[in-house]
Amino acid sequence: MTSSLRRFAPLLALALLLVVPFLATDSYTRHLFIIAFIYAIVAANWNLSLGYCGVFNFGHLTFFGVGVYTAAIAAKTFGITPWLAIPLGGITAAGAAFLIAAPVARLKGIYVVLVTFAVSQLAMQLVLSQSQITGGGEGMVRIPFLQLGDYSFIRDFKFGYYYVALGLLVLSTLFLRFVVQSPFGKALLAVRDAQDYSTARGISVSRQRILVLVLSAIFTGIAGGFYAIYLRVASPEVFGFGTMSLVLSMVLLGGVGTLYGPIAAALALTFLTEALAGIQGFEEARFIVVAVVMVLILRLAPGGLVSLLDRLRPSRPAS
Amino acid sequence: MSEPILKTSRVSKSFGGLKAIRDVSFEVAPGEIFGIAGPNGSGKSTLFNIITGIPFGPNAGEVWFKGKRIDGQPAFKIARMGLSRTFQKDAEFPDLSARETLAVSAVFCGGLDRRQAAERSEEAFALVAFAPHRRDMASAGLSVFEKKQLMIASALVSKPDILMLDEPASGLTKPEIQALDTLLRNVNAAGVTILLIEHVLTLLMSVSQRLLILNQGQQLAEGEPRAVMRQPDVIEAYLGKRTQ
Repeated sequence: MTSSLRRFAPLLALALLLVVPFLATDSYTRHLFIIAFIYAIVAANWNLSLGYCGVFNFGHLTFFGVGVYTAAIAAKTFGITPWLAIPLGGITAAGAAFLIAAPVARLKGIYVVLVTFAVSQLAMQLVLSQSQITGGGEGMVRIPFLQLGDYSFIRDFKFGYYYVALGLLVLSTLFLRFVVQSPFGKALLAVRDAQDYSTARGISVSRQRILVLVLSAIFTGIAGGFYAIYLRVASPEVFGFGTMSLVLSMVLLGGVGTLYGPIAAALALTFLTEALAGIQGFEEARFIVVAVVMVLILRLAPGGLVSLLDRLRPSRPAS
Repeated sequence: MSEPILKTSRVSKSFGGLKAIRDVSFEVAPGEIFGIAGPNGSGKSTLFNIITGIPFGPNAGEVWFKGKRIDGQPAFKIARMGLSRTFQKDAEFPDLSARETLAVSAVFCGGLDRRQAAERSEEAFALVAFAPHRRDMASAGLSVFEKKQLMIASALVSKPDILMLDEPASGLTKPEIQALDTLLRNVNAAGVTILLIEHVLTLLMSVSQRLLILNQGQQLAEGEPRAVMRQPDVIEAYLGKRTQ
């Protein structure tokens, strides 16, 4: 891929996504895109801590879950407008990330995995045990939906929700782009690749790890908030292993340490699994097919889908 | 000697039953090039580690820098105070370009903004004579000598008071060692105090004004380089006992 095409590919993709609702007028296709956009936000933000900073945070979906329940409780229990409940999810998720990050910042490798995964299970148990607030195992339903004056977002075949979800994805991507291109973002790569060298250059490794977890939680929590308002449901399943492994596969498939890889993978995986579900005999086997595709891609291109595109680029002459 | 810029007082470091550094005390004057030598495993790099706190500080003893006690301080803060080091093994940020590597160091260690960091990076590149056309290359693609230059430049970009170099000549060819000799003299002439661990004795003897010899974690000798190298116990530590 030429560098100019690479530079303009995201804008081209955005232009295509902007016209999709006019081409796909059925609510099911739009729903798939909305779900893919939500997962893309979660995967891309997970990639900030996992891919750019090397923090094996297996509790990232906790931030998503915190966003889901914050928006659900804020909108349903406290009657706060959903427009405010959604960003509120980002604030509480960032707060939760700060609490989790403090003990995790000084841990390494497998211990980070263990502690963060334990935290996600703890969050799920907390939701299950506080049923008078969270609805327990049954979750929360009939959460208020988005409205804009007299315009109702649940009577437009998901036209409005599509653009809100796409808008959130664009904002999240711009935010991540700003972070990774800043000196802070470069220092994340430094910490990931050489901790002692980073320390010798005045970088506080613990501070970077705390900040990256907090930053990665903001849009993840907002996505969680939107998820609750859009589906009008908050269920403890969001803390489960199934959702975590799905989003993790998007990060790995798209390319760890890349900005657009997880977004592309979220779209690809969402539509691939749905396409396979439509083929007779593949309803149950689709996850096996997806797993095989993942193994093949990671075997052939460990850097993910983005590295496959990079291979198409003409090689630079040696300096 | 004038007021020392760096001083260690009876510093020790043990790993379980192994005493890697035992009661080492020395002082470095501002502006000098202070060499540290000794056989393999004598504790040279461990001494660097406990002075800078990367990745560990001393078990006992004190480290003073610019009149302040620094042992027990967070290592990144020690670096920001002006004590900058390099590493024996190739240390690099493989996904950052040479320019980005220096910018990160200038921002975090030197407390500069992006524009100032870019200007300071150019100065540091010039000081180590880093080729202009290689500055936007990813660090992983640089030659061994360029990586050494980059590591030194990234240490210098924050304008440290002391530059601590851990075997910078390892893996270099003779002409490159000669270039390194010139580089160290230029850096020192710019007012930077240098602590140098080096196995290449020609380089060490050429640039050092004073020399500390370590053996099995202990201080064996200290003083003017040629006089130190003539001492019988130093010769014995390097070559072994003479048999009759």
